[in-house]
Amino acid sequence: MAVVADHTRRRTRRGPQARREARIGLLFVLPCFLLFLAFRFGPGVAGVLMSFTDYTLTGGGKFIGVDNFTRLWADPLFWQALKVTVLYTVLAVPGTLIASVALALLTRRAFRGSKVFRSVFFLPVVTSLVLAATVFVWIFSTGGPWATFVSWFGMSDESWLSSDTLVVPALAVVGVWSRFGYGMLILLARMQDIPRELEEAALTDGAGPWQRFRHIVLPQLRPALFFLAVIETTASFQVFDAVYTMTGGGPANASYTLVFQLYDAGFKYFDLGYASAIGVALFVLTLVVAVMQRLVIGKDQ
Amino acid sequence: MSRTTYRSSRLRAVAVPAVATVLAAGALAGCGGSGGGADSKTVTMWTYPVIFDEAKNKEYWDGLVKAFEKKHAGVTVKVETFPWANRDTALATAIASGKGPDVVYLIPDQLPKYAKNIVPADDYMPADAKKDYTDFALESVTVGGKALGAPVLTSANPLICDKRVFDAIGETAYPTTWAELEALAPKLKKKGYYATSYSGDTQQTLNMTFYPLLWQAGGDVFAEGGKKTAFNSAEGVKALTYLKKLVAAGYTDKDLVTTTPKLEQTPVAKGKVACTWQNTPADVEPFWGKENIVVKPPLKDAKSVGYGTVGALSLLKGGNTELAGDWINFAAEAKNAAGLEKGAGYFPARTSGGDLYPGDALQKAVGATLPTMTAGPLEEKAREVMGVLAPEIQAALLGKKSPKEALDAAAKAADAMASR
Repeated sequence: MAVVADHTRRRTRRGPQARREARIGLLFVLPCFLLFLAFRFGPGVAGVLMSFTDYTLTGGGKFIGVDNFTRLWADPLFWQALKVTVLYTVLAVPGTLIASVALALLTRRAFRGSKVFRSVFFLPVVTSLVLAATVFVWIFSTGGPWATFVSWFGMSDESWLSSDTLVVPALAVVGVWSRFGYGMLILLARMQDIPRELEEAALTDGAGPWQRFRHIVLPQLRPALFFLAVIETTASFQVFDAVYTMTGGGPANASYTLVFQLYDAGFKYFDLGYASAIGVALFVLTLVVAVMQRLVIGKDQ
Repeated sequence: MSRTTYRSSRLRAVAVPAVATVLAAGALAGCGGSGGGADSKTVTMWTYPVIFDEAKNKEYWDGLVKAFEKKHAGVTVKVETFPWANRDTALATAIASGKGPDVVYLIPDQLPKYAKNIVPADDYMPADAKKDYTDFALESVTVGGKALGAPVLTSANPLICDKRVFDAIGETAYPTTWAELEALAPKLKKKGYYATSYSGDTQQTLNMTFYPLLWQAGGDVFAEGGKKTAFNSAEGVKALTYLKKLVAAGYTDKDLVTTTPKLEQTPVAKGKVACTWQNTPADVEPFWGKENIVVKPPLKDAKSVGYGTVGALSLLKGGNTELAGDWINFAAEAKNAAGLEKGAGYFPARTSGGDLYPGDALQKAVGATLPTMTAGPLEEKAREVMGVLAPEIQAALLGKKSPKEALDAAAKAADAMASR
């Protein structure tokens, strides 16, 4: 009762002008909210519902309970795709974060040409990954630039894309290349907010570059890093276009990811119920990882 | 602030979001429903750049539409050309949401998946037109005993060889059998050439890559009835063993087992491959020059057989069946389809289509191989089977499994799917 009374009291305190403004505000949000409901939330719910049906393009659509999920659990291809997806994420996310921090540090201070460098580093983000992947196929080919480079260190000059152990690292390299510019931009913005006096004080106290970075810059970057870790993990779990263009999931399914399996099930075999079940599994997985990240990196925010 | 100004600003404050909401709701409402209908006087058709040159493709269809509309007063035909890439994604989504076209250009590989959405061709195709089709054309669009489209063109993928490569090694005899190709391979390798080019990328259709070898060995993908697979037979193992030998010895580029670069980056385009069954003369002409393309019948082990395809117009359920059927019959007439066939370098689907390329020796040679072509399995699970078989073929070619192990593993997974 007390809660209700308090609530009523608070509501009565608001004048008619404020209420009118709130209503108008809601009206302004409404179009966007409607579109969000229709194109984001609606399809999401429909996808979850569809995962409990045997819906195919050519008919079906009857409720089959959790059959799609038991089939998924027993499908060796799902576990293979999950393994590949997790491995890719484990390589690509830290890689992207490290590259983003490193390049943000390098281009942080204004120097002659710093803006050019920032723009150049951001370029991969706005480059079509399908287009870039075509070039990367050549870069990774047998006797190509990458293979030649690693052969100087005693490694084989065979294509990484033909090796079932090196194909995911190769894709992760492409993933890092295409994403670090975005991370760099976010971190640069955050770094501009760090008071210069803090670092100058540390410098006076005799702190070296590593100590200043470790104890002053890094703690300040934590919220931005948490944000990036979540965004990058979500993006990594959804990796598709580079795999589609570069390896087709091969060799022998060594780079077959979850979204690739979803695509095959949905648009190659038209098994839309099963494809939705893969989508739901992917959603749960991403959610669990995001919650874990929040507990580990973003616990104070 | 005067009273009028206050009112007008208040009005604006309410009106702007209200109008935006109505617009958004309108946009959403537009997403539902389906076009066409049984009484519609409009036929919509989706096709793809069959004629590669965009302007010529448009000119062909515009001309045909004009002629049809002249004959049928008050009728409108809308032909929309979509890109080849991801065409099934677009079509499947459109059909599922009730926004599909009335007529669509399909090839045999696609027919089984759309079978339940297609009106059988017997419902609109005149008997004399049906009789006019070549066996290859009609059989290639027949699923479960019913023709699911009106063929408008046929194509062949024979063996094509690069004359320059044979000149370079001083050979004049072109291979006709597996054994002959294999015998030539060491000599070619010594001079820096590949005997052939095999694309093992799992996104490639096996119809153009492995299946021709399987058929040539005397094997088949499915057993009679289509419920069980048959590719792990002795013939299948023989075909994969042969292919593995070519890859292991370096008689074909190993990188292509896993990746598909752009055509201009491949050894075929660079003039480094002696013979291939995975490219057409039209593909290689810009790189080899027409005079260097030698067309041969498909390779032979037990028999000479290759992959060929058929382009057909299919009628989707839900529209004005009679009118759309009339349009298909009109477009599929031999004289009307000729422009499409010739523009794209393909061949007639009907016997009355005649010779489209008098005096063109190259096209004549390709056309002569049509009777040895097959369009691949027309079973509902054909694509799923490819999905499990292609990675296993890769595993065998990369030495991870023996051909027998790889084919058995694929057959086990495929049979479980086929019986579902």
